[in-house]
Amino acid sequence: MMKVIGKSHQKLDGKERVSGKAVYGHDIELPNMLHGSILRTKYPCAEIISIDTSKALSLDGVECIITANDVDVNNIGYKKDHPILKKGTVNCNRDEIAAVAARTKEIADKAIQLIEVEYKIKEGVYDPFEALKETTPRINEFGKGAEQFGNKNMAESFHYEHGNLEEQKAKSKVIIKKRYELPRVTHACIATSNITAEFNNFDGRLTLWSSTQVPFLYQRDIAHALKMEPSKIRVIQPIIGGGFGSKLDMHPFEPICALLAIKSGKPVQILYSREEEFIASPTRQPMVIELTTGCDENGKFTFREVEIIKDNGAYTSWGATTPFVMMQSYSSLYQVPACKFDSHAVYTNNPFAGSFRGYGNPQATFSIESNIDLMAEELGMSQAEIRLINANYKGEITGQGLHFKTCGAIPALKTVIEKSNYDKIMATPNTGRYRRGVGLGSMLHVGGGAKIYRSDGCGTTLKIDDYGYLTIVTGSNEIGQGSETVLAMIAMEELGIPKEKIKVINTDTDVKPWDVGVHASRTSFVAGNSLLGAIKLIKEKLSKKAIELLDVVTDDWEYANGMMRFNEFEIKLDKVVREMHFASPHELCMVNYFYEPPSKFQDKDFKGDVSGNYAFASQAIEVEVDTVTGNVRVLNVHVSQDVGRVLNPVGLQGQMEGGLATGIGYALTEEMIYEKGVLKNPSFHGYKMLTSTDMPDVHFYPIETYDEAGPYGSKGAGEAPLIPTAAAIANAVSNALGVRFYSLPITAEKVLRALASPTPPKEGLLREAKPVTKHQ
Amino acid sequence: MILTFKINGEWVTQEIKPSLLLIDLIRDVLQLKGTKPGCLEGECGACSVIVNGDAINSCMYLAINVDGKEVTTIEGLENNENPLHQVQEKMLEHGAVQCGFCSPGMVMTTKAYSDKCIAEGITPTREEVKKSLEGNLCRCTGYAKIIDAAEAVYK
Amino acid sequence: MNFDVISPKTTPELLNAIYDNQSKNFRIGAGFTDLINQFKAQETEGLILINLAQLTEVDFKKISENEINFQIGALTTASELIDNKSIKENFPVLYQAANKLASTQIRNVATVGGNICNVSPSGDMTAALIALKATCHIIDCDGNERKELLSSFIRGLKKTSLTKKELIKNITIPKNFSKNIKSGYEKVGSRKSMEIAIVSLAYHLQMDDKGVITYAGVACGAVAPTIPFTTSACEFLTGKNINDISDSEKEEFAKRVLSYANPISDIRASDWYRKEVLFNISKTIFER
Repeated sequence: MMKVIGKSHQKLDGKERVSGKAVYGHDIELPNMLHGSILRTKYPCAEIISIDTSKALSLDGVECIITANDVDVNNIGYKKDHPILKKGTVNCNRDEIAAVAARTKEIADKAIQLIEVEYKIKEGVYDPFEALKETTPRINEFGKGAEQFGNKNMAESFHYEHGNLEEQKAKSKVIIKKRYELPRVTHACIATSNITAEFNNFDGRLTLWSSTQVPFLYQRDIAHALKMEPSKIRVIQPIIGGGFGSKLDMHPFEPICALLAIKSGKPVQILYSREEEFIASPTRQPMVIELTTGCDENGKFTFREVEIIKDNGAYTSWGATTPFVMMQSYSSLYQVPACKFDSHAVYTNNPFAGSFRGYGNPQATFSIESNIDLMAEELGMSQAEIRLINANYKGEITGQGLHFKTCGAIPALKTVIEKSNYDKIMATPNTGRYRRGVGLGSMLHVGGGAKIYRSDGCGTTLKIDDYGYLTIVTGSNEIGQGSETVLAMIAMEELGIPKEKIKVINTDTDVKPWDVGVHASRTSFVAGNSLLGAIKLIKEKLSKKAIELLDVVTDDWEYANGMMRFNEFEIKLDKVVREMHFASPHELCMVNYFYEPPSKFQDKDFKGDVSGNYAFASQAIEVEVDTVTGNVRVLNVHVSQDVGRVLNPVGLQGQMEGGLATGIGYALTEEMIYEKGVLKNPSFHGYKMLTSTDMPDVHFYPIETYDEAGPYGSKGAGEAPLIPTAAAIANAVSNALGVRFYSLPITAEKVLRALASPTPPKEGLLREAKPVTKHQ
Repeated sequence: MILTFKINGEWVTQEIKPSLLLIDLIRDVLQLKGTKPGCLEGECGACSVIVNGDAINSCMYLAINVDGKEVTTIEGLENNENPLHQVQEKMLEHGAVQCGFCSPGMVMTTKAYSDKCIAEGITPTREEVKKSLEGNLCRCTGYAKIIDAAEAVYK
Repeated sequence: MNFDVISPKTTPELLNAIYDNQSKNFRIGAGFTDLINQFKAQETEGLILINLAQLTEVDFKKISENEINFQIGALTTASELIDNKSIKENFPVLYQAANKLASTQIRNVATVGGNICNVSPSGDMTAALIALKATCHIIDCDGNERKELLSSFIRGLKKTSLTKKELIKNITIPKNFSKNIKSGYEKVGSRKSMEIAIVSLAYHLQMDDKGVITYAGVACGAVAPTIPFTTSACEFLTGKNINDISDSEKEEFAKRVLSYANPISDIRASDWYRKEVLFNISKTIFER
């Protein structure tokens, strides 16, 4: 019987955050600190003829200016195709040309305007299909597309397959082929990007106050960029005002800030304006997906064949690697006998795409779940039934080698179908101004980390002090999601130490043990298991001493209220620790533990059990479409998710609602609008995130499958809630109107156009799907 | 320009340049960092503070216009007996805080609205509570818990 | 930003400030919800701001009524309009327009005069006031006063009839002669809050006891360089019984409203969408 786990606990440092006392990057002020500002290109594609910084340098208050010619650095990004400061050519509208450090932000911004750059404007390439043509010039001079993939503008390419495609095609009664277009959206963290850098020129050490989600990989990346030793770089994370994947990669402004600090000899801070945040922070990867799927006469799925062209932008960040996750959904979301997957990320003069909560999965799931509805329609089968008969099941080893040791897919589906009155709403005829509809979407995502780096582990150091206080030093990171709270809860559960006596230290690479970072919904799973491992060690230590002190033989201690108990024997925890410390042989009550999940690297064909466990979820979403304005309003969201086990109900529910809000925005309103590589809506009034009045009621039904790999049976949960949302909404809109949308967001204008003309226009704002191929 | 105003219960006199924005007065001059700069264009509400009882965006407000007025920032909600205001307590209870960057603004907006409701003897509906928060963007929570918390304040 | 500020407290101080700065580059501001963003995007060195926020003159601030008019001070905020029971009761179109403007924080400072003088085709309160046939009362620094119908005061995109010497003191709206009204403000945007109208429709109809429309004021926002008062659509409605308008008459009315639309395409919507929605919502105003 759990005392703590499974009961709602307030956020560990919630009081600091809600009272304005939490220190974010924006709140840091160091003595003599300068303010940095970055000059970005005026044109998305141009040659730089000359840069003249003399006027800017003579401005009072300017301390230093750097351009590409002043620095000795390496390219960044996992393909090393991205210069920190650009020279020769600029390739997208966020390109950094120069940076200034000045006494005030105002002076720095003014100095930026005084830098004179002469450009020779070039016609850029903004369409990946255009970029693939022979005649198109090479976009990224560091790209290795020609050697690696046979096309100079190919940045990255993935191929995967399992099963016998031709055989399965022959078995198919229905084959649906559709083309889906997914927009560029962004994280829109409420705190803009920020960094503060300080360089100690006595010992060559660099300290960065950075909002990174992956401090140890970041330390390595900064070191590579600046040609430094990683261990000389100390990364301190202030309170982070939103992550969602945006801070998974290191971006040019970060080494730039370090360079300014090194050159000026003073601390330097760079804070993005909101406009800069929209223009220069990463985005979700836009893509065109052509998906062909089939099923037999009974509705059993036969195959999936997919070809994806991704707009990589001018440089390569993590967006190009989203196929790792996408191919899992194509190969293994529902039972899929055969699958062929090809994905190409193509350089363009658009801004580069990074990672974003869901990591390609919202895009993949949108296409898969739309095709499923279409197959059911074609077959005359219920959309609920076709999903249920194909759903993943416990014990399944998929074509890709994912092993579902536990699986809540069917219970999740059944729950949302029942709770949403799915069958009834589906069957209700629709007339009048407001049309109601309901749609289903399911998803599969890693739930136990993902082995994409040589280690997917996390270290923990535990210390109980002489007064019975516990310090958890964890490699993992808090980005607002509540990982600290879950760790404290685990310690409370296991060691019986009250919350007030627990500290979590997790912000300093000089102090904390290694961890790969916050991503892949992994933190509670990996850091939780790491903590449990450390707790086991510290309990052994405590037990040994308590046995000695109480002269009793047992290893079956009960830890509660700061005490250790066995039958009539009991002793205070702090007393055990003091005896350990002050009596011979004089030991501190400290342990270290490193947890590496049991997951495996995939082989060269991308096969293998990549995660410690897998999360499953279904959503049934009810919408109302206003046929007068075209606006789609989400009325109700029913979400059921296999979370393994609920650790902190209030925290989990918060992840659900927050994810859904982003998912609804992705489905209906959010889009970065570019014209020839230039962002047209770089503000919160142009980029439409949901407001409080747009948020529907969320009904959440967790499914507990108790997966033994996770802490107390839990699975990762953070990304899942936004993954099937757009799919379910698109299906619901189709149910409401009898018209289907193949591109996101489903804007009011798209809806009205579809209602006004049965065949959508080819040109203009709308680029809809190609004609349907049915009954092959 | 000389400015005299009340900040979190205390009168202060401060020399400022005329074009100074209230948010810069609060964060840079007075060093009250709890008021957050989210967009600096009046769209996100993270910088909300209360001026003479009304919630306003401090990024869109000239500092000189608080002359003679009473300004309350998030720091002003704390007193010796109660380190947290009821609005803050409810937000914590309901799990309304994730990254927390929007939280001070959410608190100040809700506080101003709840003061107004109490003064007028109104218990707002859930839709009215949602509307009261329309000027405060949040990317983490999906608002649901924030709305729950604000609703609990009025019960 | 680096401008100078004059903060007059009284009308004479205000008029003097305008008079004294005739040869200089000055702007007049009150709530600053639009102006500050404009200032950030431009060089403000040498600019003088005449700040109305500290003006104590009640004529600029109060909402009052006499036998024929409601008078609204130019410095009345959107929140003050919303809180005013007479406005809510008599002019739902204005109440709704003010209430649908941005957020509480913005409404607490944004003024009616500012909304008018910002001359945006999507100005919410402006659209409502045009539908209500509001009149601007204008004063100048030489002591002159004049009145002009709001719909003619706005001369074009970002243009008004104001000279450098003038400013709006208040706005008057003719009182309803009937209690039987149908009045509202439809604002179309992609989300429910924090929107700038993609299309808006302000309508204010007054009927006699039997439901015969005796006054029709309909204006549409964000579909033309200025917010048109749709005279021909209004004339079409006048004399018809509100309870007895046929579908074809609704279509005709909507067509007439649409004839005033000459929208642009921008990132928020195409001209096609704006026209389509304007036509659609025009038909629906009789249904609620």
